[in-house]
Amino acid sequence: MPAGLVLYNYELDESCYKVRLALSLLGLQWQAVAVDVFPGKEHLSPPFLALNPSGRLPILRDGDLVLHGTEAIIAHLARAHDPTCKWLPVQGSEFAEVMRWLIFAAHDLGVTIAARRHSLFGASGNEQSLRATSSLAIRIMDDHMTARGFAQEEWFAAGHPTIADIALFPAFALSRDFGIDHDEYPALRRWARRFRALPGFKTMPGIPDYH
Amino acid sequence: MRLEDFWHPVALSQSIEPRSSAGTRLLDQELVVWRDNSGVAHVWEDRCPHRGMKLSFGFVRGDHIACLYHGWQYNSGGRCQYIPAHPALDVPKTIKVPVYPAHERHGMIWTTLSENPATMPEHDEMVVPLRSLYLGCAFDAAVAALNSVRLAPFASQAQAETTVSGVNDTLVAVSCGQDRILAGVQAISKTRTALHLSLSGPAERYLGAGQNHFNEWALRLRHAAEHARAAYATPDQDVA
Repeated sequence: MPAGLVLYNYELDESCYKVRLALSLLGLQWQAVAVDVFPGKEHLSPPFLALNPSGRLPILRDGDLVLHGTEAIIAHLARAHDPTCKWLPVQGSEFAEVMRWLIFAAHDLGVTIAARRHSLFGASGNEQSLRATSSLAIRIMDDHMTARGFAQEEWFAAGHPTIADIALFPAFALSRDFGIDHDEYPALRRWARRFRALPGFKTMPGIPDYH
Repeated sequence: MRLEDFWHPVALSQSIEPRSSAGTRLLDQELVVWRDNSGVAHVWEDRCPHRGMKLSFGFVRGDHIACLYHGWQYNSGGRCQYIPAHPALDVPKTIKVPVYPAHERHGMIWTTLSENPATMPEHDEMVVPLRSLYLGCAFDAAVAALNSVRLAPFASQAQAETTVSGVNDTLVAVSCGQDRILAGVQAISKTRTALHLSLSGPAERYLGAGQNHFNEWALRLRHAAEHARAAYATPDQDVA
């Protein structure tokens, strides 16, 4: 059993990217194990189904703990490895707001993952409908950050960045992969610029290094 | 007059921070709106002459914007100044991006596609930015939507009628008592229109609570516009 943090990772998967972002922004050391998702479908092979019967990445090993579910993983990383308790605030409404947006990321933004898989990897789906539903979900985020701006707040759930911002960032940053431009989301453009300036921020393919 | 002859707002000023860029469309023409380090706004054709890459994907450094593909750098006049792959090259003057005029009024960045534009009015009101709304309808329908939802007064408690009046072809004032919303209308395409909304008045009156108050109006307006459209139009395909 390897010590420390091991991420079963596919570089082009936006959910794996969320975990890589969390590990990096929290300043943690980790080891990545590359999984041949496309075209190899290695994540659907028996050894990986033993780790996650749902057949999805990312999977995180933290000592004896094996965890799947993207939002669960980043919540665990923040709870177990962020002594400042900033990335997952434990008090009052900030905790509740983080949970609200984590669930939004896992549920409502699922369509953006489907849209991107359809565009990049040929997964099934109706392009028009995937794009329309995705743009509505992203608009909910833009409306929220517009209102946060009226309160001079810069982050989704607290007065500082939290794992909610991490969970929400890839869907917007990668939206051009599935045909949604950033033109009509000015509040998210400004939020993404701030997010990119965080110490430890990393890009992935589809997100420019320069901006 | 045609829509092509008008000045149109293409963003709220606050949406384009110094050292940043964004793409938009005006009458189907793709534009990049960007702001240099010194705070000056620019509106250009959104296309690098080298490989056709959108310059809005690029990055702003100083008073230059650079293309994301190969780093070609353009000065504020649109002329290519530097090609990283050929650092010693004296770049030919013919490598140039079409540049449109850019002015800031009422908290919005304005431009025009016209080759002989009317003079931009000097008048500039003190405003507090509200937000931009993107609607899946034509220019005229977006202007009509401004009539669809009544305003509730904010600056004074007294009830008052909502009045809507055109300031010019692409700027509409929606007033109620002492409050006045300025709506700049951007014709993105035949089927898509943006409303850029500012609150006329000082920051101490509207920052925070006032913006929230009128944001509710803006969201109701958007809902009304989309609901009306859903009732008698075919589903909007132009969502991206």
